Amino acid sequence: EYRIEILHFKKYVKDITNIQARRDRQLVSKRLLLNDDEDQPGVTMDTNSGEQVRQIGPEREGHLKALSKALRDPSAQLTFIKQENSMHLLVGLLTGSDATCRLQAVRCLHELSHSPHTNVAPAFLPATPYLLTYLSGQSTKFTELCLYTLGNLCPDSDVVKEKLLAQGIIPALANCIENQRHNLAVVEAVGFTLSQLLQAKDAAEKIIPMVLASSLPSHLISVLTPDPKFGLAPAIECAWCLHYISCSMKDNRVLLAHGALLQCSSLLVSLGGAVAEGNKEEGMELLICPLLRCVGNLLSSCPVKDLNTQVADIRIVVALCALLQAYLQAQPALARESAWVLNNLTAHSSAFCSALLTLNLVPGLIQLLPFSQGINTMILRVLANVAHKKKELCVQLAHHGLLSALCATLKMADQEMVTLSMDVLSVLVVSGPQVAEEFVRQGGLSLLEAIQYNSEGEIRQRATRLLEHHPLSSSTYCSVKTSVLCQSLCYVISQLL
Amino acid sequence: MLQQPELVRLLTEGHLSLKNCDEDCLTGNSQEPKQSVDEEGDPFNFTPQLIHLHKDHEIFEDGDIHRHMYLQDLYISEADDKPPLSVSEFACHISGCSAVFSTLEEYEHHYNSLHRHVCCSCRRSLPSARLLDIHIQEWHDSLFTILAQRQDLYQCLVEGCGQKFRTSKHRKDHLIRIHKYPPDFRFDKTKKDRGTRQMKRQQQKDTAMELVDDVCESEGVGEVMCDVLSNQLEQGESMETHVSEEEAARMAKSASTEEHADLSEAAHSTGTSTEPLKPRYSYRVPTTVCFGHGSVRGFRGRRGRRK
Repeated sequence: EYRIEILHFKKYVKDITNIQARRDRQLVSKRLLLNDDEDQPGVTMDTNSGEQVRQIGPEREGHLKALSKALRDPSAQLTFIKQENSMHLLVGLLTGSDATCRLQAVRCLHELSHSPHTNVAPAFLPATPYLLTYLSGQSTKFTELCLYTLGNLCPDSDVVKEKLLAQGIIPALANCIENQRHNLAVVEAVGFTLSQLLQAKDAAEKIIPMVLASSLPSHLISVLTPDPKFGLAPAIECAWCLHYISCSMKDNRVLLAHGALLQCSSLLVSLGGAVAEGNKEEGMELLICPLLRCVGNLLSSCPVKDLNTQVADIRIVVALCALLQAYLQAQPALARESAWVLNNLTAHSSAFCSALLTLNLVPGLIQLLPFSQGINTMILRVLANVAHKKKELCVQLAHHGLLSALCATLKMADQEMVTLSMDVLSVLVVSGPQVAEEFVRQGGLSLLEAIQYNSEGEIRQRATRLLEHHPLSSSTYCSVKTSVLCQSLCYVISQLL
Repeated sequence: MLQQPELVRLLTEGHLSLKNCDEDCLTGNSQEPKQSVDEEGDPFNFTPQLIHLHKDHEIFEDGDIHRHMYLQDLYISEADDKPPLSVSEFACHISGCSAVFSTLEEYEHHYNSLHRHVCCSCRRSLPSARLLDIHIQEWHDSLFTILAQRQDLYQCLVEGCGQKFRTSKHRKDHLIRIHKYPPDFRFDKTKKDRGTRQMKRQQQKDTAMELVDDVCESEGVGEVMCDVLSNQLEQGESMETHVSEEEAARMAKSASTEEHADLSEAAHSTGTSTEPLKPRYSYRVPTTVCFGHGSVRGFRGRRGRRK
């Protein structure tokens, strides 16, 4: 039934996405940090602990523990916050002199923060300044709990978010990641909390400028390289933070200046290599995905002349092709994103276009042209980018089989593919007489003639243009055969004479 | 995956720096792609462009879902419920023909069977370029009619025979006698002499080809012919491949003629043909009959109507 859960969840998410899209909100997730002695989130029903905690005494710690377990139940959460002064009680314990009670109190708060009810978050307003203060504390377990609590609260309430920003959550996160950079569990928690903030729909105006002004970008970038012992988790969180920033901003010069593109692209090269070798660590795509997006969007802010410093390793194109092939079946969306990045690399750079040919990547790309779900249109764009760069490249493309591939793509039902195919063809056939002749030899003329009867005007126009104005119309392949009319005329004339 | 070992080698071999950076630097305003010739009314509007994707772009939807499943501890790397990767379909270009195919071969077969060698006057589809030529000449060329009174102009339909006859009846006799055409084959049939279509459906392969010819009356030639042939394909699919294998012999035996050379010869270039389509027919159209070039001469006249 675990699998059914996944399906239900996916459907749930899709439904929510639609609803939220209509209400202009976003996907929300929370994280629950389990106790050290637990490995599954379980719920115990306990209605008394709330009251019992009020009592002073050595049993308080026990009561707090029981309370935190009880607070895992959503209805208990609601009951708790409805009780008068319950939050103040917890805050008091949170800031009290008993360290163990503090820890238990923060655990209670953490359970509460995980509530699916959005009206729990506003109850936290008395607690937030203290939670923020403790981010610079020395107890790492404590800090972790504070971080996840804050992270859970962010998406629920704009009021809470405003307060947190005003209370300095950004500098607090920056300090925390700096001071605790050797504790990867804390680093992961900072990344998560920050990602929750950055996912907000108004993040571009309110939050991102603050983040870019802080020391967070350089820290996020430095965490991207996964630690072999700890695993991918901290890198994953930081990569998603960088993605939320780069996709929300049109101008990413700050991130570029920090070397984000350089680091992300280098990482993709190593990850691509690992994937190509078959060393697929569990969840690697969770890191590859945001890295791809960062590279893709950062490229759109990067001037071509800076590419050699920002994307120093040309093997990025190899890595992208490896990712394309590796994820084509398992996660076509990821393959599509890889193709998108390839487009951004090749759009204005002759060097990357040439690289596709010299590294013999073109045949592999051509093989992907049958696949839909947006993959083939993006790949055709990449090949179109190459064709538009230099005539010599066109000849090479034709040599690798692009012409026969186009003879197939021109017949596809997808009109974008047909239109793009003709745009590519228009460049190919003017690049050299041998290309035009090859196309004619493959039956291209009659194909174009048929396309002249397509129901779309734009498609008809292109076909006519190719037949009439391009070297195709003067191809030497047309044989001269006397028409019947000519023959008839000859007879007539011979009779008259 | 064909290229993986090659890719691995490239990726594990040290560092390949971005050479030729000079060419990118030197091109100056390389943000603007080079336009080869800026012709007026140039319909090809593709330009290489950088694509920036916003957070909520639909390309990101799947990855976002995986991200959130991971956060909620529901992520499985290799899920069993992944749908198979979809492959693009092919669709017939001819306006009015809504046929869609899942393989290129099906498309080719459809197109070659229905949309090539079409006469623009009567919209009949002929099996080959030569037969189309003969059809146009004999049916739609008034000059031919005049000249044929004094000379032998009715060509034998069997390619290579070369004989010519004064009337189509003479030709028919020749085809039956010399080339062993079955006498009950559809000879001398005019457009009006349709007979019962239903009855013909039960007959052999030859009739199947005839039916294709007969439905030219209707407005949307492509549509109707497609419907007919798609029905026929279930019954007679094997026939076409069968015929193409024994091409020459078959053509001699089974081709039929009608009064005005309404031809029902089995196609010698079916979908299984691997040779490239020859463009030679494109430029032989008598200008009095149809304008322009193209195997789909039959549809030229309709273009004006479709807007």
